[in-house]
Amino acid sequence: MEFNFFNDAMKIYLDYISRQFKKNPNYKPHPLIRALTNAMDGIETAKEGENVRGISFEGTENNIYEPYMVIVQKTKGGIEIKKILNLKVKKEIPIDVMIMIFRLQIQLDKIDGETVSPQQLVDALNEVIPGNKFYALGDRWKEARDRFAKLLNEGKINLAPNDPKIEEFKRIDKNTPWENYSNGLRALIGPTILYGSDMNKKIVITTPTNARIEKYKVFDFVTEFMLRENVEYFRD
Amino acid sequence: MKEINKIYEHYFDLIDSYFGSIKNYLEDNKYSHIDLGMAIADYPLVSDLMLDAINDLDRQIMKFWSENSSKALDSLRKQDSLKCVYSGDITPVLLEDFVKKSLLYIDTIVIPDPVLHLTIFKNQTTMDKKYYLKSLVRHVFNLWKLKDLMLADLEKNALVILPINLNVVNEYDKNIILSNACERFANYVSKIFRQGIDNEKDALAFLERFDDIKELFSAIKQTDLLPNIFKKFDTFEEFLESFIDTKVHFQMEGKTVGFEFGEYLLSQFIRVQEHKFFCEKVSGEPIYDYDLPYFFFSYEMGGLDMDASISNALQKEKFKWLGNVPLDALKILREENKLENMRSILRKGITDLKAKNDEDLLKTSEQLERNLKEAFDEQEKEIASLKREIAVIIKKEIPIEIMGYVVGFIPYLGDYISLLCVSRSIKNLLNQREELKQKIDDKKTDFINLLIKSYKGE
Repeated sequence: MEFNFFNDAMKIYLDYISRQFKKNPNYKPHPLIRALTNAMDGIETAKEGENVRGISFEGTENNIYEPYMVIVQKTKGGIEIKKILNLKVKKEIPIDVMIMIFRLQIQLDKIDGETVSPQQLVDALNEVIPGNKFYALGDRWKEARDRFAKLLNEGKINLAPNDPKIEEFKRIDKNTPWENYSNGLRALIGPTILYGSDMNKKIVITTPTNARIEKYKVFDFVTEFMLRENVEYFRD
Repeated sequence: MKEINKIYEHYFDLIDSYFGSIKNYLEDNKYSHIDLGMAIADYPLVSDLMLDAINDLDRQIMKFWSENSSKALDSLRKQDSLKCVYSGDITPVLLEDFVKKSLLYIDTIVIPDPVLHLTIFKNQTTMDKKYYLKSLVRHVFNLWKLKDLMLADLEKNALVILPINLNVVNEYDKNIILSNACERFANYVSKIFRQGIDNEKDALAFLERFDDIKELFSAIKQTDLLPNIFKKFDTFEEFLESFIDTKVHFQMEGKTVGFEFGEYLLSQFIRVQEHKFFCEKVSGEPIYDYDLPYFFFSYEMGGLDMDASISNALQKEKFKWLGNVPLDALKILREENKLENMRSILRKGITDLKAKNDEDLLKTSEQLERNLKEAFDEQEKEIASLKREIAVIIKKEIPIEIMGYVVGFIPYLGDYISLLCVSRSIKNLLNQREELKQKIDDKKTDFINLLIKSYKGE
């Protein structure tokens, strides 16, 4: 049986979208599909051999997330999708990443509303990205903080001696709630939870438990993450 | 279009919306649905996407049946036909062949909806995801191949699906089904091991003691109550090992072989009670495609009546050749109202039979084989005789009369007969010859001849 990887994935996902539309006419597909739809709108008037671009994105007036461009070409027999570009990372989307994005959209569609909790984010990422590598720090932040302090004292944290984060950490009162830590400091402290642990995790999500994360930000995270240079290391 | 056909049209629309994207890979061979199931489950990344994308199939199929189940059931009940309700695997291995064999005798085959079955099963167990996808694709496309027959505008539907599953039965009936099954299971274990066992818990506890197949096999005392496959150690061991192997897909904790055997038996007694319940609900007979489920049902019922025996005997390996019958021929058989004729051929010598065990079923199948052979011989004799009649007309009568007509000489008819009469006589002979030819053509295209061709593998 000779499969067509791209076509099959696209068809399965488009069928999924059409079922979602049946259930909810206001369903908003992923920008990649919206960009494709925009491109298809222009294909009718295009001449054979001509390329048509479609662009779509998420976010607000000031912050653009998930900007996608799809380039399709009108061919003799029909239409050929030439490129799918993520304009933020300025890279073409490989098929395996495209499938992960589709899967992530399906996972996130199961959660009502426009935002997700850190645990829901981690569950979705672990479902979609092979290896079950993500971990939500959640209420274990105090444990991570104390471990970080211990490692810092033992000189086991590799930071420049005058790194401002060290000062910031030292200034923080023990009773300071986790949400009042800066993002940078949380990102520094959180991963220490894995130190000496036999958990096979590589990324710790340090967002406070009660925070909500916009769904479209999750996609940006995944796309950027999967298109990083060292992603092969993570995939192993 | 009939109400029930509209329901199934919606069913296939629903299936198409979930699996339509891969249907182009279904090849034109008998095992293609099995191959497709395996290929899709092994498809890197796309299989995961597919699993995610069909994640809500359980809710959608449940919704579909909650809206259509009573309508389909009512419509089926109103249909005055010989119905058989299938039980055994999720769908028969080759549904197409099963249908071809069964529809020689029965009007309507009722199959449990495989999608409903698998989605419920997935939610109730820790079934491996890829195993679920493989099974789902396999059974969905097994049914898909019969879509045209299911939607055919026949007076009596040839093939229907219904939400046959213990989980859609109301609590009251479900409790009755389960308690009957537990009682019958305990009773069976008690009998075959000659133990005084009162309930299913004690039966399972008794069986759990055996952690060696040989020891378990030797402990069985009343072997005449066993299905054939359990009567010999080799086949018993092979069966039990393969049953235990399937649990790998469900990440279930391993128990002793005795306990596994008990679980298998209990599941069979539950299936039998469930099957009985649904047979009564549609006023249908039970039908199976392999011996084990047949054994447990007939054990429970003390035997099957004539219709059920014949339909089940047709499933025997010796009728494998019926799989060669073109599917459209089954529609023709019904459209031309010849099913009753086919039934009478098959029933010869089997009236008032009650098949109580595998041997009886074997005898029934032997009789069926003889009946079909007789019908084939008769058909071939008739065709041969018609051919001979034509030969006589062509070789003798027509040449003589034509000669007479052409030269104006009128043999043995007397001078008083005009040439016109001779001409009419020739025309009659020609017409007669054409009629006989037509009869042969009819015979050649009729159902028995299609069976003969299938039998000979032509």
